[in-house]
Amino acid sequence: MSTAPAIAPLLFGLILAAGPVGLSAQTAGAGAREPVRMLRIPSGLYAPFTRDPKDAAQVRVSAFLMDELPVTNARFLDFVRANPKWRRSEVGSLFADSSYLADWDGDLVPGSKAPPDSPVVHVSWFAARAFARWEGKRLPTTDEWEYAASAGYSRVDGWNDQKLRADLYAWFARPSPPVLPSVDTAKANYFGVRGLQGFVWEWVEDFNTSLVTGESRADSSVDADLFCAGGAVGSRDTGDYAAYMRTALRSSLKANNTTSSLGFRCVRDTADTASDP
Amino acid sequence: MKTALLLPLALAATFASGAAPATDCCPACSQALGQGAYSRASLYQLDASFTDDGGRPVSLGSFRGRPVVLDMFFASCSNACPLTVTDMLAVQRSLPTSQRGRVVFVLVSFDDQKDTPEALARYRAQRRLDGNWVLLHGDGQSVRELAALLGVKYKRSQDGAYAHSNLLTVLNAAGEIVHQRIGLVGGLDQVAGALVAAAPQAR
Repeated sequence: MSTAPAIAPLLFGLILAAGPVGLSAQTAGAGAREPVRMLRIPSGLYAPFTRDPKDAAQVRVSAFLMDELPVTNARFLDFVRANPKWRRSEVGSLFADSSYLADWDGDLVPGSKAPPDSPVVHVSWFAARAFARWEGKRLPTTDEWEYAASAGYSRVDGWNDQKLRADLYAWFARPSPPVLPSVDTAKANYFGVRGLQGFVWEWVEDFNTSLVTGESRADSSVDADLFCAGGAVGSRDTGDYAAYMRTALRSSLKANNTTSSLGFRCVRDTADTASDP
Repeated sequence: MKTALLLPLALAATFASGAAPATDCCPACSQALGQGAYSRASLYQLDASFTDDGGRPVSLGSFRGRPVVLDMFFASCSNACPLTVTDMLAVQRSLPTSQRGRVVFVLVSFDDQKDTPEALARYRAQRRLDGNWVLLHGDGQSVRELAALLGVKYKRSQDGAYAHSNLLTVLNAAGEIVHQRIGLVGGLDQVAGALVAAAPQAR
C-alpha cells in the first residue's frame, strides 16, 4: 500500500518525459487464428532480483514453454467471445477494475485504439489467468519470466548486452503510445521470445510476492509491522534499474487492477527437461 | 500505468482514514439472507475449495449470512501470526454475547505443504480455538487467489517460512470486505465494531 507514494514520482517522471511515439501498420486478424508459437526455454540458473539473505543467490528454473509473443487483442477477443463472463460489461469489480479493456470500443469490438495484432492491455491478473486456463496454459512465475527476460538479443546474459540496455532505457524514457504497436515489431531475444522487454509490462502468476514498500529504489527495509519476516529482503544489483521498475510495479498492483501498458503472455510446463545440463 | 499507481494511493487513503467502503446495506443483507447470486463485490464468487482441520471440504460461500474475520497465516510461524491469532481471540472475547456465536473466525494457511488438516487440528488444540473458528488448508492456486482478493502479499523463502502481509480482514454477511486492519498493532475495537455492524439484523 505504501509503495505508491514512493514510486509514483519516479514513474510519473518517466511517463511525462516527452519522446517520439512509434506507430505501426495494422494487419487484419480475421478468421480462425493459428495458435501462437511456444518456445522452449531450457532450464538454467537465475539470480532473483530480491531475496532473503538466507536464500541462495541463484535458483534453478526448470525448462518450460513460453508464448513467443504477448497476448494480442485478437486472441483476447476470441476469449471473451467464448467466455461471456469476461466481457467488459459482465465482469465483476472484484476481478477487474473499472478500466478493464478501457481501450476497446465495446464488449466484442476492440476498435481502432486496440488493433488486433497489438498486445492486449487493461487486463487484470484474474482475467489473464482465466485466459491462460482457457488456452490450457498458465501465467509464468516471476522466476520464469525474469529468467526468460534475462537473456539479451544475442547472448544469454542480457545484462551484458549493451544494445538491450540501451533499448530498455529508451523505452522507459518514452511515454506509452496511445495505440500500442503490433507484436510483429517486437524483437526476439536469445531464446527467440519476442517483446519480453521494452514492449508492455506483463503479469506474472505470483506478482503478489513483491514485498517491497516505501522507498523502492533503495529498498532498504520493509515496514516490519506490515510484513511478517519481510524486513531483510535485499536486492541483487542496485544498477539493474529495469528490475527495480518491474518489482516496484508488481508490488503496487492489486489483482483486479488494469492499466494501459500492462498485458501478459502464457507459459506451459514441458515434460521434456531431461536434456538440459 | 497511472491507474496502477493511483489506485493503491486511493486505497491507502481509504484504509488510513479507517473508513469502511460504503456498503448498500439493504441489498447486501437481503442477499446474505437469501439464496440469490453473490454480489459483485463478494469474495464468495471465488471458485476455490479448501479443506478444514477435520478434513472436510469447505467453500468460502458456506460462511454466507455470518460476519467473518479472516487472517492468512502459517502454523509454524513464530513471528507475527501468533500475535494476530491472540488479537483475534481478544476480538472474540470483546464481542457482545449476542454476537459471539455468530461471527466466524477463519485462519487460512499459506503453507500448502506442512499445514495439512492434521497439522491445523494440532494448532487448534494448541491455541484452544473453539467451534466458531475454521482453520483452512488450500492448494497453492486457491491460496494465491484468496490472497490476491484480500490484497495479501506473501513469499515462501527457501527455508520454508513465509514472509507475508499482516492483514486482518472483516467480511460482512454477503462476503464483502468491510474492514481491514493493516499491520500488527491496535485497531481491535474497529475490527469488533465492523463485525457487529456487519451482522445481519435479526428479523
